[in-house]
Amino acid sequence: MIEAINRAHAWEMAHDPTVVVLGEDVGVNGGVFRATAGLQKKFGKDRVQDTPLAEGMIAGMSLGMASQGLRPVAEIQFMGFIYPAMDQIANHMARMRHRTRGRITVPVVVRMPHGGGIHAPEHHSESLEAMLAHHPGIRVVCPSSPARAYGLLLASIRDPDPVIFLEPVRLYRLVRQEVADDGQALPLDVCFRLREGSDVTIVTWGAMTFEVLRAAEQLQKDGVSCEVIDLATLSPIDHDTILESVAKTGRLVIVHEAPRNCGVGAEIAATVAEQGLYDLQAPIKRVTGYDTIMPLFRLEYDYIPSVARIVDAVRDTLAE
Amino acid sequence: MTTFNLPDLGEGLAEAEIVRWHVKVGDTVKVDQPMVAVETAKAVVEVPSPYSGVITKLNGNPGDVVATGAPLVEFELQGAGTPAKAAKAAKAPERESPAAAKKADPRAADDSGTVVGSMPTSDDELVETAVAGSDIASPRERVRAAPAVRALAKRLGVDLASVRGTGRGGLITVDDVMTTSGPTSTHTAATVTALKAPAAPRSVPAGTPPSGEAEKLRGLRRAMHQSMSLARDNVMNCTLFDDADLHAWRKGEDFTTRLLRAIGAAATAVPALNAWYDGDNQSRRLMQRVDVAMAVDTPEGLLVPVVRDVAKRSAAELRADVDRLKRGARDRTVAPEDLRDFTFMLSNFGMIAGRYATPVVVPPAVAILGAGKLSHDVVAVMGGIEAHLRMPLSLTFDHRCVTGGEAARFLAALIQDLERAS
Repeated sequence: MIEAINRAHAWEMAHDPTVVVLGEDVGVNGGVFRATAGLQKKFGKDRVQDTPLAEGMIAGMSLGMASQGLRPVAEIQFMGFIYPAMDQIANHMARMRHRTRGRITVPVVVRMPHGGGIHAPEHHSESLEAMLAHHPGIRVVCPSSPARAYGLLLASIRDPDPVIFLEPVRLYRLVRQEVADDGQALPLDVCFRLREGSDVTIVTWGAMTFEVLRAAEQLQKDGVSCEVIDLATLSPIDHDTILESVAKTGRLVIVHEAPRNCGVGAEIAATVAEQGLYDLQAPIKRVTGYDTIMPLFRLEYDYIPSVARIVDAVRDTLAE
Repeated sequence: MTTFNLPDLGEGLAEAEIVRWHVKVGDTVKVDQPMVAVETAKAVVEVPSPYSGVITKLNGNPGDVVATGAPLVEFELQGAGTPAKAAKAAKAPERESPAAAKKADPRAADDSGTVVGSMPTSDDELVETAVAGSDIASPRERVRAAPAVRALAKRLGVDLASVRGTGRGGLITVDDVMTTSGPTSTHTAATVTALKAPAAPRSVPAGTPPSGEAEKLRGLRRAMHQSMSLARDNVMNCTLFDDADLHAWRKGEDFTTRLLRAIGAAATAVPALNAWYDGDNQSRRLMQRVDVAMAVDTPEGLLVPVVRDVAKRSAAELRADVDRLKRGARDRTVAPEDLRDFTFMLSNFGMIAGRYATPVVVPPAVAILGAGKLSHDVVAVMGGIEAHLRMPLSLTFDHRCVTGGEAARFLAALIQDLERAS
């Protein structure tokens, strides 16, 4: 996946001279995860800039560049470091189109790793998508495979409005997939159906697709047919696809790594309760991280929903 | 400090009761050393230590019920680096994680791909078919109903697909369900309510109040409560009675192995009674092997260890198995796998007393045989009367999936085999 992200950067930089990359260690070092490896050598120091350790500045500078005609792609090294940048993102980036009555749009992409699973220290394993999705004016995107990382990153860079691009960190080097480096973008604001099924709909995103697809395979052996939907764009949510799937299966399980309280899963559950209630044959289930601080590595995989927890939740809804 | 949680003892049970501790705080224990005996709903199980180290805390006293997964023992480990072995010994529930899928990555040698933590890697190729957007196949025959209406329909046994919705946009209403349910609905609803309502206290004539203390059901007795409730709520029990004439038997025939053999023969003749039935899905599975669960009466309650493959094995083999299982049941060491997956049940209550009974089928099995007390009966035979040894038999079958004819043919085949001289 990390290679697909790197190639999407390279393709777009080669085809659009206004695309610039900035962030901590993105240039000489190529990024802590090597997402931008080789880009500075290829496109020069003006287009791939190492910045100080100042997330507020990275977001502010990106906003300034974008308002003046560039297409910056900024990297926040870890999602736990986003808080200093939130002022620029929420108070300015998200509002610029609204504030200027549409005269200025800011085509910024702010990329960052999302979630845990790599035995990292504190602040390095957060899943803060709900905080971002709560802000009107920014799009939140989270791919779950190399192909979608490539296609959705291209679409995000080309989009005229700010996109927060969440990269599932434990999939960076875990998932390999042939991806054509052809500059083809994938559509934003729609879900992707990864598995067709008839008994239950499972909605998830990011790294959790890994466990969900395994759970679906396991359940298939017992004759349970799961429809797996990758949300992909977390804000705005493609409710139509989810509602149509629930109308078909009558059951919904939502799986996310982030804490349960006020998570994106709650928004999906609420919308299905509002608009799809009469199709439901069982209560909606959520399988999520816990409402605690993301633990350090020893308990990391007790926190992240396991295949077993997902299978149990599906069985519970089917038992209704 | 390391915490050891009560593992799933291999039976999918939610909890266990502490019987006795073999260790105390401050003790140094080695891997696999027995720490505690716990009683599940089925057996007493010894839990070995997953670690080598010093015990710093024991959670719970004998008699306490501990949930599977709850902290049981806390350790101070000796030296670092033991958790790998520990994980194996503790039989922690399997979990799949990307880290577990980590494999040697040639590139990892010079560049781990991160400055913090460690990146899980894999050479597995992802193959997926991702369809963007709402290209969902049109819903099957769509039933629209509020959750409360669905619950009502389920309670009244009404199939919503057969109900015509009169609400807005074809929505099924409470009235629609009641109408479809018909005149029996009030009765059914009342029964359901009655089942849920607490039992009314019986009136006690004035005088001495009864004595005795309420005691919470535990272990085997609680398991019996659960399986019998399940059977009561689901099974349509129907019992057939008959006698086997054992006049041809020679002295010293083994009743139990003869009964097991006869069940095997009957199941071979009529497989419909050697089956599992899933009532929710109306799905019946005829079983190839005949595995008979034998009720064993113990002071703590009823245990039903399973004798495998009774149709194919010799009397001596069956007898050895029966002895082993009975011993295991009485001293509660019978292995969990010996208590699972039976296809037929046998209750030998006649060893104590009682000629006939209405034994209860425990799902997913579909039949149970009760063997009553033997007696010498006066039998009319050609040319006169004789006293014959006879065994009263009671065969209960689940009439939801077994017909009366099948049950009768099964019983006939069983009696025929039982009546043979040897």
